[in-house]
Formats: sequence, structure tokens, C-alpha cells
Amino acid sequence: MKYLSEYRDGKIARGLADEIRRTATQQWVLMEVCGGQTHTIVKQGIDELVGEAVEMIHGPGCPVCVTPLEQIDRAMELASRPEVIFSSFGDMLRVPGSDCDLFQIRARGGDVRVVYSPLDALELAKRHPDKQVVFFAVGFETTAPANAMAVWRAKELGVQNFSVLVSHVTVPPAMVALLEAAENRVQGFLAAGHVCTVMGWTEYEPLAQKYRVPIVVTGFEPLDLLEGILMAVKQLEDGRHEVENQYVRSVKREGNRPAQELVEKVFQLVDRQWRGIGRIPGSGLGLRPEFADFDAEVRFGLQNITAEEPEECRAGEVLRGMLKPNECAAFGTRCTPEQPLGAPMVSSEGACAAYYNYGRFRQATRSKA
Amino acid sequence: MSESGSLAQGINCPVPHSKYDRVQLGHGSGGKMSAALVRERFLPLFSNEALAQLGDAAVVDVAADRLAVSTDTFVVQPLEFPGGNIGSLAVHGTLNDVAMMGARPRYLSAGFVLEEGLAIDLLDRIVEAMARAAKEAGVPLIAGDTKVVERGKADGVFINTTGIGELDPEFAPTPECARPGDAVIVSGPIGRHGIAIMAVREGLEFEVEIESDSANLCPLVENLRQRVRGAVHVLRDPTRGGMASALNEIAAAADVGVELEEERLPIPGPVLAACEILGFDPLYVANEGVLVAFVEGSRADEAVAAIRAHRLGEGAAVIGRVVEAHPGIVALKTRIGGTRVVDMLPGDQLPRIC
Amino acid sequence: MCLGIPGRITEINRDGGLTMGVVDFGGVKREVCLAYLDDEVDVGDYAIVHVGFAISKVDEDEAKRTFEVLKEMSQLDELEWMEEVAEKSLDPPQADPS
Repeated sequence: MKYLSEYRDGKIARGLADEIRRTATQQWVLMEVCGGQTHTIVKQGIDELVGEAVEMIHGPGCPVCVTPLEQIDRAMELASRPEVIFSSFGDMLRVPGSDCDLFQIRARGGDVRVVYSPLDALELAKRHPDKQVVFFAVGFETTAPANAMAVWRAKELGVQNFSVLVSHVTVPPAMVALLEAAENRVQGFLAAGHVCTVMGWTEYEPLAQKYRVPIVVTGFEPLDLLEGILMAVKQLEDGRHEVENQYVRSVKREGNRPAQELVEKVFQLVDRQWRGIGRIPGSGLGLRPEFADFDAEVRFGLQNITAEEPEECRAGEVLRGMLKPNECAAFGTRCTPEQPLGAPMVSSEGACAAYYNYGRFRQATRSKA
Repeated sequence: MSESGSLAQGINCPVPHSKYDRVQLGHGSGGKMSAALVRERFLPLFSNEALAQLGDAAVVDVAADRLAVSTDTFVVQPLEFPGGNIGSLAVHGTLNDVAMMGARPRYLSAGFVLEEGLAIDLLDRIVEAMARAAKEAGVPLIAGDTKVVERGKADGVFINTTGIGELDPEFAPTPECARPGDAVIVSGPIGRHGIAIMAVREGLEFEVEIESDSANLCPLVENLRQRVRGAVHVLRDPTRGGMASALNEIAAAADVGVELEEERLPIPGPVLAACEILGFDPLYVANEGVLVAFVEGSRADEAVAAIRAHRLGEGAAVIGRVVEAHPGIVALKTRIGGTRVVDMLPGDQLPRIC
Repeated sequence: MCLGIPGRITEINRDGGLTMGVVDFGGVKREVCLAYLDDEVDVGDYAIVHVGFAISKVDEDEAKRTFEVLKEMSQLDELEWMEEVAEKSLDPPQADPS
């Protein structure tokens, strides 16, 4: 696949890894923000490859992992209603709520459907005028333009039986929260390449300045990540702290203006709860009053549903990079991919699930050595 | 469906034009309608002596002391997909399961649960595909059963097939026999069936030049039996759960480690592309026309040649080996030199955005 | 937030209220909304697609330029490695380092 496969070249990757090791005079601590980047790092063994030079901390860049418990519970409440077709991206189906997950709701008779695009959910609404179609609008800034368009079109076309349950979060406030925390060890960031494709990188410039951290906008293939890591390490070695762009084939400084404009028309900044982290002011997107008709929380009166995180789950500390998954008492025992206590064990790029796979392998090979 | 239409469909179709255009509850009641259904829609296509007796049970001869018996129920949706339908799948799937024990399949049975309202011409296409598959394999369908359930209780049709095969005492691969040093060989490109099905599912529609690889693997197994015999330790068809699940099961059964090399996995371009879009890992995607063989290391090349001798095995390749380290765990050496664990998934893969 | 895949635009339809198109991802084709790249793209261009929406046009020149730099870097390393091996071993290297 053009513009994808060539960024997986083994020889170039090893060359980059060598260069990283040669450039680093000490071990640096970097965080990749995006779950998709975590996925590649873990899947390709990149953290193992650069381990001497860089400690990679997996950031809270998985919208699945950070969707607050009460939003999941509200999703389940909606999915249980006989008049509702509840549509969602696949990631969300196995995330545990307070009581069960969307899969179990489906088993009990709820009409839960996976879609690839929010426009598919809109099509569902057009095709089933006798049902209420609710779409679980989850994601970071990358997905906001798509969700915004679905709502915009629903209004334009007068599709009355369509609504969205919104759980959008934005990256910069989360990075600030991380950087402000006293225990923060992160010295540089790989910013999410597709978030920045939409938003550009102007929001990160003041962060790099204020907190004196290099921020490299990075793609998702192995060569992208290795190059991004190299650029960050070079900055750290040089004592620089700027925003640089590794993902030049997709990202421009101003981002995608038409997408930003529609998002601004449909959504507004709100405070959002991040599962395991807490309330971060101005870190989320909610529907503007003009679109309240399409807000599932309003249409179905869900505001009374609240939830308490299970005490044993320490997802928050893991998401903030302060606890390694295998340091959690429940890890691998009461919390496994089959029976997860929290979202980072469910999602394939959640830090806990990643450790569960890789850690067992390291243990097995070490014991045989 | 007109007579000339059915005659034009490849095999000489003796099936008469049906009085009904849809299956009704009466077709499963055991009375005249049931008899007519069997006589008109099933018998002409599966004609053989044992079946024609229409006794309570079929009586057949076998030429072995020990038999391999496998049963499987097929509930695939949609019923028809690029490269086949639930009928051909049901025959190939069970024949393959028997063949994976090293046995030569001799007989098949089939049980149908039909949903009231199923279109008769769809049923005909399914049954024709089964008949064609069984005939190509040289395995007669000797027993069958049909039930009809109310509308809404069966998703169109469910099919159970059972296969009986004769075991060869000198060729008895089982998962526990995997040994360190074995080569892990795959007979062809992976991921085709699962992606072909995904492409036609509602909510995910995309256009892809991939067909299901559903096929009878017996000729490949026969080649291995003749040329490499005892050096074949394990045979497995990686269906639901893909290569990853099959390899994990074998690693656990034999208490050995498996190491795969990402660069050696044969994955067709469109399968890779579809997996990228959905966020799938090709290692977990179902296959219906591919086998995995664990063969003594020193005879790997012969085994690959034996598989490649048949057109179904054109793409055969060594993709990894069995090791003593990390028993029970399947590890993958990535293109860039890293290593990761290929674990079993708790459930199905789901399309993701992240 | 992240699954964005590059594909080649094979059709553009500006007739409906929303600009849509067909994108070919290495053999898999899907309908994609092109509204966010409307003025920029033509058939034959590559775009990054996320959940059925094209979010950027692939800058093919930049991609080529930066990829060449990466490739050179890896070839340079091969040369340096061969020299290291030569220094460490007793015999001169057999292979041609090009």
C-alpha cells in the first residue's frame, strides 16, 4: 500500500534505531500521546528496540480508555431500550461499564451495531424511520470533523430519529494536566499525527515554550515513530524545546481549516471527565445549543446517570504514566483481557493489555535463560 | 427459478421447478411436504445408494479399524458471499477437519434447520453448492435431516455436517506432537475468508477483490501423506480466530513455543489493505482454504514442495518454527527486528478507530 | 483517534449536497466523504482517510523528499557497520560494501 508499506522497511528501521542509540548520551523519557502510536510501538517491538536510549511511556491517547464510566453506563441504558438502534465504533463494545458491557446488552436483546463511519449511522437512521438511532460519538479531534458532519447533515436533511451521545476529548489540556503533575517524568512528546492533521500544531507551541519540552508531531508507522523519537532525542541532547513536524506528508501547521470550521459550528469546548484522571476543564467537546435536538443526553434525559470508578482499578495512574501496569495488584489476576476491571486492559492499545501480552513473554524467556 | 435457468448453472441440474417459492413450516413436519422437499430438492443432487434407501440410518462399509469423526454447525452470515455460500462452506469445513487428523474422508451427513420464509431458490443454490463440493471431493452425502422453524428463529438456514474418515495408522498428526525444531508451514495466502465476509456485512460495506478461499484441503493432505508421511507432526486448518488461535492451541497442547517471522507471512495486498482500514490483524482473520503443518525441520523443503504440487498450495511457505523457549506462547519477530506476543483474543476482532 | 489510512482517489462526486468520492486503498475501495478537501483534490491524488472522511491530501513531494533522506541514512549506516567489522576482524571484508 503506497504511503504505508514503505514506512515499514526493516532495514531503514534498524538504521534509525542505531542512530537513536548513537545520538543519546543518557536515557530519556518520552511519551507518545496517541493510542494508535502505542499500538505500533507495542506491536512492532519498538520500545524494545530503542530501550537503552529511550523509555517510552504510553499516554492517555486512547479515547476508548478515557471515556468516563458514566458515559459508558449511559450508552448501555440507551442500548437497552427497545426503540433504540445503538451504533458505535467497534472499540467501544467491550469496554466495561459499572455493570456489564455493550456486548452483554446485545446478548440480552439490545440492538447494538458496529459501524465504520458516523455517516453509516446516519444511513441507518434513514433506513429505519420507526427506530431511534443513537451514535456513540467518541474520539479526539481527529474524529470530531466526522461526527460534526453527521450531526450537520442530520439537521440539514431533517433526519429526526438520529442523535449522538457525545464523549469527545481534546489533547492539549490533557498534556497540560500531565505536565503540571508533580510526579511528571516525561521529558518530550510525540504528538498525535492525525489529531494534528485536523488541528495543526499551533496549540502546542506555547506548551513547548512554557514547559520546555520538545514536541514532535509524529505519524503511525514504524519509520514515522522511529524518526519522531530520533528528532525528539536530538532536541533533548541539544537542549532545544520546539515543535517539529515528522509527519510532513499529512500535517501542515494550520491543519485542515474547513474541518476545524465545521467542528466549531457544531461543537463547543466543555469540561470533560477523563476516566481514571478526573475532570479536566475545557478538555472536551459538547454539542452547541443549536444542535441540542440531536444530543442523546437531552433527548433521552440521561443526566441523572452517574457512576463511581471501581476502587481496585488504577487505570488513572497508568494513563498518566505513573504506574506500570504490572505494578498494579490486580494485574493479570483479577484484571485480564477476558475480565477487565478498567479500559486500558480492554483496548488493544491500552497500556495494561499491551503489558499483559508482552510482559508474559519476557517473563517466559527470562526464566528459560 | 426456471428450468432453463437451473440447467445453465454449471452442473446438469435435475431439480424440478418448485411449487412453492418459500420454505413453509409444513416442509419440516414429516408429512407430504417434507417428503416432497427431500425428494425434489435434495435427493437428485446427492444421489447415491445409501441415501436413496431413505432408511432411518445409512449403512456403509469402512476399510479401517479406526475412524476420525468430526461435526460442525455452520451459521455464517450472509448466506452467500464472494467465493461460496453456507453450503460449500459446510462441506469443505467438515472434510477439512477430518483431513487434519490425517484421515481420508469417506462419508458426510447433513442436518438443516430452515427458517420459515427462506427462498426456495436460495436453498437450491446452497444445496447445489454442497453437492458440487461433495462430488469434487468424491465423498457422498449418506444421511440427512431437515427441520423448519418459525420465521425469526434461524437466520435463514443453519447447517450441521458430520464427516467420517478412515485413519492411516502411519499418518496420525495431532497437536501434542509438535516438537522443537519443527518448521511451521502455511499452505497459502491468509486472511481471505474473513475479509470476504466482512466486506459484505452491513455497516462496513467496501469493495474488495477478495473471495473466500473455502476449499477442500484433502488433496494437499494426501500429497503430504505420500511424500513426507511421519515427518508431519501437526495439521490444522486455521478457521475462526485465524492463524493466531490455531497456533496458540497447538503451542498449549504440545507445551512448546512458536516463533513466527512477520516477513514470511503470505498476506495478499487487498487483505492487508482491508485489515488496515478496519484495524484488524491478519493473523486473527478466518481462513477456510488454508492449512498449517508442523513438519520435522529437516524435511520442511520436501513438505513445502509436496503442498505446492497442487494448485491450492501454490503459495505454501515456511513461516516460523517451534522452539523450546517460552512454552505455550506464540511470538512474532517483526519486520523491524522487534518481538511481540501473538495472544488469543477474548472474542472477535472489532473494527476500531484508534 | 488515529486510524488514518492513505488511499488514491478514483472518483469524485460533487452533485449531491456533500462532496463524496471513491478511494482505492491498495485493492480495497470504499466510499469516502471528500468535503473537507473539496477544493484541493482531483482524481489520482492520495488522501489520508479516517472513519470514512478524507482529512488531508498526501503531500507526495514532501513524502518523497523525506523518504529519500531516511533511505540514505540507513545506507550510510550499512557502510559504517562494514567498516567497524573490517576493523575488528583479522581478515579483510569479503563483500563489496555498496
